[in-house]
Amino acid sequence: MTNTSHEVAKGPHHESGAAPSALSAHSIVKRFPGVLANDSVDFDVLPGEVHTLLGENGAGKSTLAAMLCGLYQPDSGYITRNGERIALSSPRAGLQHGIAMVHQHFRLVERFTVAENVILGSRDLSFRLNRSELENRVSAVAESYGLPIEPGATVGDLSVGQRQRVEIVKALYQGAEILLLDEPTAVLVPAEVEKLFENVHAMTQAGKSIVFISHKLGEVVEISDRVTVLRNGRVTGHVSGRGTTDTKELARLMVGRDIELTTQRASHATGHEVLQIRDLSLNVGGVSVLSDISFNVHAGEMVGIAGVAGNGQRELADTIAGLLSPTSGSVAITGSMSTDRGPIHARELGLAYVPEDRLGMGLVPSMSILDNLLLTRDRHIVVDRASVQPEAVRLIDQFEIKANGPEHIARKLSGGNAQKVLLARELSGGRSATKLLVVCSPTRGLDVGAIETVRALLDDARSAGQAILLISEDLDEVMSLSDRILVLYRGSIVHETPGESAQLATVGAAMAGLSTEGNA
Amino acid sequence: MRSPIRIVFEQRNETPKYLSTLVPLISVIAALVAGGLFLLATGYSPIDTYSNMLSDGFTSSRGITDTLGLSTVLICTGISAAFAFQMNLYNIGGEGQLYLGMIGGAWAGLALGDRLPSFVMIPTVLLLGSLAGAVWILIPAYVRSRLGTSEIVTTLLLTYVAASLVDHFVYSPGSFFVTKNSAFPQGRLVPDSASLTAFGDTSLYPTFFLVALLALVLYWVVKRTEFGYRIQVIADSPRAAHYAGINANRTTLSVMLISGALSGLGGAALIVGPFGRLDPGITLLGYGYAGIVIAALARNNFSAIIVSGILFAGLRSGGDKLQISTDTPIHIGVMLQGAILLFALGGEAFRRYRIHAVRAERAAQ
Ligand SMILES: Nc1ncnc2c1ncn2[C@@H]1O[C@H](COP(=O)(O)OP(=O)(O)OP(=O)(O)O)[C@@H](O)[C@H]1O
Ligand SMILES: [Mg+2]
Repeated sequence: MTNTSHEVAKGPHHESGAAPSALSAHSIVKRFPGVLANDSVDFDVLPGEVHTLLGENGAGKSTLAAMLCGLYQPDSGYITRNGERIALSSPRAGLQHGIAMVHQHFRLVERFTVAENVILGSRDLSFRLNRSELENRVSAVAESYGLPIEPGATVGDLSVGQRQRVEIVKALYQGAEILLLDEPTAVLVPAEVEKLFENVHAMTQAGKSIVFISHKLGEVVEISDRVTVLRNGRVTGHVSGRGTTDTKELARLMVGRDIELTTQRASHATGHEVLQIRDLSLNVGGVSVLSDISFNVHAGEMVGIAGVAGNGQRELADTIAGLLSPTSGSVAITGSMSTDRGPIHARELGLAYVPEDRLGMGLVPSMSILDNLLLTRDRHIVVDRASVQPEAVRLIDQFEIKANGPEHIARKLSGGNAQKVLLARELSGGRSATKLLVVCSPTRGLDVGAIETVRALLDDARSAGQAILLISEDLDEVMSLSDRILVLYRGSIVHETPGESAQLATVGAAMAGLSTEGNA
Repeated sequence: MRSPIRIVFEQRNETPKYLSTLVPLISVIAALVAGGLFLLATGYSPIDTYSNMLSDGFTSSRGITDTLGLSTVLICTGISAAFAFQMNLYNIGGEGQLYLGMIGGAWAGLALGDRLPSFVMIPTVLLLGSLAGAVWILIPAYVRSRLGTSEIVTTLLLTYVAASLVDHFVYSPGSFFVTKNSAFPQGRLVPDSASLTAFGDTSLYPTFFLVALLALVLYWVVKRTEFGYRIQVIADSPRAAHYAGINANRTTLSVMLISGALSGLGGAALIVGPFGRLDPGITLLGYGYAGIVIAALARNNFSAIIVSGILFAGLRSGGDKLQISTDTPIHIGVMLQGAILLFALGGEAFRRYRIHAVRAERAAQ
């Protein structure tokens, strides 16, 4: 997958050492209460280069990037831009130095429209644009980046994948010289990733620099000129030169052992129907979001829903979970209707639900891990925290959540660790024994070690007879785990195929709306 | 060439703990300084005025009991405001709910007459006052929880209606609340069984301890109970509440009703305590509005409200006595209250943002 044509662009700088690095961090130290997030980190990115930061969840990658863009200030150490020492007191100062960042925890204003969010904070606000002009402009820019967005939509209504696109377009729109990308591809589909990488290549060709953070090792190998590995806040390894490494080696560098990602599927003998969806249609604000959906998920079976963000996945999951009432049709969990009686009823029927949006929906940002574990449980009139304490400690241990303890505030967790808290709660059962597990992008933002753990847990859940509905924009994941794959396109199921015989090309085409007949 | 200096607000990732105490403290001091400048400008001695206020409000034993006595109603309106504010519900009509508490309390006292013993009468009066306060916020609470109508406007408007209601009950001829055939319209005193006795010849009533205890109980409710848990989830993230099946509408309704009841309780405490009757003078005192400031200064922390309530009571009672005894500008206490609110709200900016001056840099391109 190595793309040799881009080596030319950065080679000379690197070897001669004459050109100062575009941006570098010198012995940066950053401490949070109870953790040393960055411990004397040296890091630099050259003009025309993609330099990747790699490391386990909570290793300190986002913290370092946040200091490079001015969001956080280092406790000690300093930052230079083209060899000159600079003080980045705020993200605005960062922008003035030509540094922009795509954040892992999106920093969009939910009440604003897409277009407003994109231009927010950009430098050319001096002239006023009317609404439609602005939207046309943003739309045109997004189109030129190959990441179409709907400029008039309110960000709060968008799926996580769509928000990711907005974040990226916003950062590209700033016209930065240095772009920091913190897990930009976690919820993008392959075609979008390809577009993003084309933009990245265009930028590096023009001598701009990219700092890239991702847990998807294939991408890292494909796009990076150099890789720096962080572990517990320290730099523990370097790989330089495009094409000199592979995913196995990167994984080893990161976690210190070999990783085997399971791709097991269930035997064909599956149990009774746990989830039954009949002729389900949903209109939101007069617009049809889901139409005529029917399918079942059996005990011991994992059904994967593939699709590009915004084709109804989130609404489908929310409807099953009792958060949205269908316009017509029905959803039944273990034979009982689960719709119209709210999420608690659905949970009492045996539902566990990992929503795609972790901070703000699945987790309450200002609450502790312990309180977040209680969110979907029975809490009693006087909240019984003491009795959950041991379980919280056990889950933190089992999921290797990097935190100061059960009192750690969710907002102050690293992205991957927040995801782990959400998974820990939903995979460990709640109001009643889990019979149906609806999981959206479960391994989003997790490091390879954690992905291994979560996949093993999903596998255990399936073997234990739980029915699992896996909804993910990560096509690889859907393809490699599911017993059956359904493709959702514009609110309809347009394709169905058994997991083991699924063809990437066919599924991809169905996701793009190119094929309409199922073959199952 | 020098570039102009700009003030930059930079959001803090982490608010240092000390700021949470320091900011309210500085707001109070800054308000005192601002008030002092005002006194100077109008030809009074700030030092004399403040030292008189201080001795009247806080240092003499008489002053202290008066302060605690006055703080009773202020703590009520303070926790009333904070209870709603903590869920981002802006009940600024505590003033009106307080009047209703007085009306309800006085009605209960007068209607039941002298037939029942004190230990039944007092709780009944307090309960009815609270109920009346809750009724007064019922409509704002309902439309807010069902339709999302801003409670700021509705609660404020109803305060004016409540003030007219007080006037109506006191000035309309033959009103149930006033002494018949009196030359001067005046509220009838509630019977002795509905009156508490103050400690000694002070104006401190046992209701102070009840209210302080209530503040601590509310603190516990929010931190420890299911109801408090729901409040915290909704306040932080309505979508997470929806996800978890927490009924935000119902919680909104309950929180607002409780907020109204707490202000109403303040009014009823005035009936069993210092006032003893429906007194139209209440509409000039602004105890309900003061609650907003007290809650803001305490940042909605119920135990801190006990402290900020007492502080305010001291400023107010010290200020009130100045007006009587010396030649000082009237309403210095009320003015300080306003200044404290401004500085406390301004201080919030310091807690949330780092503020610094920078020389505007040349644009990057
Ligand atoms: N605001 C904060 N307050 C306290 N601790 C924090 C804060 N932000 C991050 N941390 C801690 O610092 C460490 C590093 O976090 P960081 O977000 O940099 O990790 P990361 O490498 O980006 O991980 P991930 O891959 O999960 O995103 C973690 O242990 C995290 O809990
Ligand atoms: Mg991160």
